[in-house]
This record gives sequence, C-alpha cells and structure tokens, in this order.
Amino acid sequence: MANSMQEKSTPIAGAALDLRIWEWLVGLLFIGLLVFVTPIPKVAAIGLVFAAAVVKAVLVVRKYMHLAAEHWLLYVLALTPVVLIAGMAIALLPDIAFRP
Amino acid sequence: MEAAPNIEAVVQFGDGDSIREIPAARLAIWLFLASEIMVFGGLMSCFMLLRIAHGGWDAEAAHVHWRIGAFNTLVLLTSSLTMALACTSAKERKRGTARRLRTYLGFTIVLGLTFLGVKACEYSLEFAKGFTPGAGLFWAFYYTLTGLHSLHVLAGIILNTTLWIAAARADLVPVVQRRIEYAGLYWHFVDVVWIFLFPLVYLT
Repeated sequence: MANSMQEKSTPIAGAALDLRIWEWLVGLLFIGLLVFVTPIPKVAAIGLVFAAAVVKAVLVVRKYMHLAAEHWLLYVLALTPVVLIAGMAIALLPDIAFRP
Repeated sequence: MEAAPNIEAVVQFGDGDSIREIPAARLAIWLFLASEIMVFGGLMSCFMLLRIAHGGWDAEAAHVHWRIGAFNTLVLLTSSLTMALACTSAKERKRGTARRLRTYLGFTIVLGLTFLGVKACEYSLEFAKGFTPGAGLFWAFYYTLTGLHSLHVLAGIILNTTLWIAAARADLVPVVQRRIEYAGLYWHFVDVVWIFLFPLVYLT
C-alpha cells in the first residue's frame, strides 16, 4: 500500500518524461492543424495556432533543453534576444505595416 | 562502464555560499544559440511585418504544401524525442549505454535526413509550378527562411554523425557522453525554430 502510494507520487523522469513531452508536442501539433482546417475567423485561428506553438517551444526549451533546471543567467541569455527582437518588431510596426 | 572523468572547465557566479558553477561549454553553446535567435528572430519579424504591410500574401501562401510541412514537423518533433533519449541514456552509467546512445543518435540522423529529403521534394514541386525565389517577395522569404533552417538541420546531422562514429570506439564513449548534451541543445534549438516557422509560413 505504502509502496503503491509512493509510486503514484513519484514524478516521472528520464525516458518516460521524454516520451510524455513528445506526446504533448504531437497533440499540440494536431490541435494547431485542427484549428487551421476549422472554419473560424482568421485572426482567432492565427492566435490559437501561435499559442500552441509557444506552448510547444516552452516544453522543448524547459524539458528537452533542461532550461527549467538551469542557472538564472542562462534564462537571461536566452530571453534577451527574444526581447530585443520583439521590441524591434513593435517599434517598426507603425512605420512598415501601417504606412498609408 | 567507468564514470566519465570530470575535466570540464566551469564558470563561477556569485560568492560565498551562493556560488554556482556553469560548465564553460554549456555557457558558450547558450551564447551561440542566443546569436542564432537574433538571426532567425530578425528574419521572421521582417517576414511578419512585410506580410502585414502587403495584405497577408494570401494568394501566394495558398500554394505552399501545408500537409508536407505538417509531416516534416512531426518528423522533427520525433527527432527531438530520439535526441532527448540519446542524452538521457548518455547520463546512465550502466551496461549497454553506448549501444543505446548509438541507436538513438542513429534514429535522430535518419529523421534529420528524412526532413531534408521531404524538403527537397517540396522545393522541386514548387519549382515545377514556377514558384522560384525570384517569383516574388513571399517566395524569396519562404526560400530564405526554410533554406537557412535546412542548412542548420544539415549542420546538426553532421554533428550527430561525428558523435555516432565516435561512440563506436569504447575509449571515446565518455567524451561522447559529455558532448552529446551540447549537440542535443543545438538540435532542440533547430526544432524550436521550426515550431515557429511552420505556422508562420504554412498556416497563416
């Protein structure tokens, strides 16, 4: 009884965790494709597809690339270019995309 | 199997009791990946901005083969699994580790080659219809983004193949066990880039 309770509470790790993450990635891929083929407003579809992509990327980075267990400095290293790129895109948006 | 000797250089952060060590090689590969984020992020954000400016390029985007792209996404996600399994097995210090390592690395290489083969078929289909890189801004971006990504996949395949060959020699297995983590970081990064490229180019 005690053993079975201990087994239930033990988090999965190693190869089992790798496989579980892959199942989630494939599931999210199919959700994205389902949203794409479903006739819903384009803006909503794009939002949902990219939300699924962000979740997939976070899963890969945190679990397969082990960023979840890394020093905070590596988070800063990985996120700095993302912030710079996002800042550049937002700054250029009015000039490039919405130019009359 | 004997444990791999720890001969890695480390970089120390903090002081006193809060001191933390990061292997220098891991820090270097993350710095390299940060520079790669700038390359792909810059290209992708330019693509997005110009796409909004040109009304979405819906007519051009309707000609890309999203089913082929979805298949390739599945291939690359599966290659990430086999790479993660190779890294996981490299950390185990027990009998059969080298064989498992080579098996998973071999699968990763085959899946990478499959990705490139499918991509080449896709390019030939598009060229046959006249959608060359000179056919318009959309196609120029399409070939630049996917071509640059494919070159990164090719680099990953070469890297994994050298590790696969090295893992065949018993005296090099400890070296491979250390280096496979860094090869894995690169391979997963290439996967993350495709995770964003696929919806950006094929599904929007």
